[in-house]
Amino acid sequence: MKNQANPWLTSNLLVLGLGMLPAAVLIGALLYFTAWAFAFSFTDLALVGKKSVEWSWVGLQNFERLFTRKGFLESLWTTVIFVFFSAIVGQSVLGFLLAALLRGTQSTLRSVVEVCIMLGWLLPDIVAAFLWSATTNQTGLINAIFVVPFGFKPINFINEYALPIVTIANIWKGTAWSYLLFSAALDSVSREVVEAAKVDGATPFQRIWLVQLPIIRPHIATNMLFITIWTFTYFPLIYAMTGGGPGTQTQTLAVFLYNQSFSRGNLGFGSAISVAMLVIVGLLSLVYLRMLREPK
Amino acid sequence: MADVSLRGVRKSYGSLEVVHGVDLEIASGEFVVFVGPSGCGKSTLLRMIAGLEPISGGDISIGGKVVNDIPSPERGIAMVFQSYALYPHMSVYDNMAFGLKLAKTPKAEVDQRVREAARILQIEDYLDRMPKALSGGQRQRVAIGRAIVRNPRVFLFDEPLSNLDASLRAQTRIEIAKLHDTLDATMIYVTHDQVEAMTLADRIVVLNAGNIEQVGTPLELYSNPVNTFVAGFIASQRMNFLPVSPSVNHLTLPGNRLLTLSTTNLETVRTLGVRPEHLELATDASTAHLSGILSVIEQFGEYALAYVELPDGQLVTIKLDGAPDLTLHDTVHITIPPGVVHLFDDAGRALR
Ligand SMILES: Nc1ncnc2c1ncn2[C@@H]1O[C@H](COP(=O)(O)OP(=O)(O)OP(=O)(O)O)[C@@H](O)[C@H]1O
Ligand SMILES: [Mg+2]
Repeated sequence: MKNQANPWLTSNLLVLGLGMLPAAVLIGALLYFTAWAFAFSFTDLALVGKKSVEWSWVGLQNFERLFTRKGFLESLWTTVIFVFFSAIVGQSVLGFLLAALLRGTQSTLRSVVEVCIMLGWLLPDIVAAFLWSATTNQTGLINAIFVVPFGFKPINFINEYALPIVTIANIWKGTAWSYLLFSAALDSVSREVVEAAKVDGATPFQRIWLVQLPIIRPHIATNMLFITIWTFTYFPLIYAMTGGGPGTQTQTLAVFLYNQSFSRGNLGFGSAISVAMLVIVGLLSLVYLRMLREPK
Repeated sequence: MADVSLRGVRKSYGSLEVVHGVDLEIASGEFVVFVGPSGCGKSTLLRMIAGLEPISGGDISIGGKVVNDIPSPERGIAMVFQSYALYPHMSVYDNMAFGLKLAKTPKAEVDQRVREAARILQIEDYLDRMPKALSGGQRQRVAIGRAIVRNPRVFLFDEPLSNLDASLRAQTRIEIAKLHDTLDATMIYVTHDQVEAMTLADRIVVLNAGNIEQVGTPLELYSNPVNTFVAGFIASQRMNFLPVSPSVNHLTLPGNRLLTLSTTNLETVRTLGVRPEHLELATDASTAHLSGILSVIEQFGEYALAYVELPDGQLVTIKLDGAPDLTLHDTVHITIPPGVVHLFDDAGRALR
């Protein structure tokens, strides 16, 4: 590769060093925190008490506990369900459908829908969580409109169907991103290619499924990569809505990690959880990055 | 093969009308070329025939049947786009087979038709390649192949050659002419390259600002343009237009010399048009009609274009055979042979 650096920069080591400083600090900090979590995952460090100062190495004990004790595997399963339904099925598919259907429609309808889904995205997590809890609880809006007037007993949705409600809330919250990304991707598909398919006799559905979708495949993979990682580690909305409950029904890995580290104070075990999450997300990313590659 | 007829076809985008009532009859098997400046509505007209653009008024019929509300796949047309519009994720074979597969054509027939088209266009060796591994010329052939396999009654081309370089364009132009000869299909071809128009067309339709200016064979348009627009648009070198003041049987040219014409009734003539290839050099001022300074000369080898600046500042172009030996900034005398002039009135309409 050609060396494109400015000759003045490359000849002046001091300037070069200064210029790299912010990046170096950032990379250093990232490495430091990762290394910290990794190192303490082999200890019994606690948040408070004696073990917060006199911690000791415990080898792989924390990692064994991930699999032998109740908690981790259940949370992993909850997370998988949450990610699959809210991010992959919900946000991605809904975002794509909206983007595909709203293309070429009247601008007012489009604007209204866009504003609505953007509102969900822009609202702070805590506010959104409060809204959803208030709407779905025993005295909430849904009961007041759809249940009580028909003579049924009010249902405490957020308690009875905690995971589905949290999933729906996250779909509502995150669809805007997928919608925007897919809109941009569909805009990049040449109009003439779609018209050629039209002349070739493709129905609107076939035009999307057989032409546009395969063309934007790299965008889909990128989007999956982003939203899977985000959703996998997503914390505030769920925690503020349910705190992981009732019981452990909505305890995703991020909530589990928080509970272990800061409610129970097991920082060492918490570090092991975060290392495990890092590994899982890393593996998922590899899968998506493979998808990003062009077929031969 | 089918005839195409347009009756009072209009197109508006919102309140803006861009095609103002076009009437046109295209015979079965004819090769018709739409030409006109950018934005005159050529593509819009073609897309309305293709069914890609709804019609705001009038009727379009193909093969005697009004197709206004018939979706494009059922119109029996195939379209070749300027950007080729190949499906980037499909091989050349699949690009050509796509339409047939959607129509649930038996596999053996799909295969036979794709291979036949590939043979005609000499792209058999590329059938397994992806479009991005092809050159521009090869892509254009695939796009044409995709049109051929549909076995359409009418081919529609929207500036199919404008993304190719000059030599490839000339070559592909000849192939399209051959293709028309072999397939015997009706073809409608949009271009703003008047060389393509002159060489390919049975008839040329000159469009301007959403109206038809003139329809005719290339030679008709060349020798009898109905107005200054067509006269200026057709032919490779733009016609010279000279303002003249008329009297009963002669015209006063710029520079105050007279041009006597056998035509009577010259009173309404305001503009005289003469093509660069019809002007001749005169040896001395006494027999010449125009005199001026040679300001630019372009040598093409087989011919040269001389741009002569008249005293009033107007440039006159003359096409000279061979490589004439002229000196820049010399005075040049020009004669106008009588049989070749075009006369236009103050509205730009031809008078002969
Ligand atoms: N979707 C649209 N909305 C509004 N106006 C349009 C639209 N499409 C085309 N037009 C207008 O219609 C007119 C004709 O456009 P058209 O594409 O048919 O021109 P053209 O003759 O094909 O030009 P070119 O040689 O540049 O391709 C232009 O003035 C253009 O601005
Ligand atoms: Mg056009």
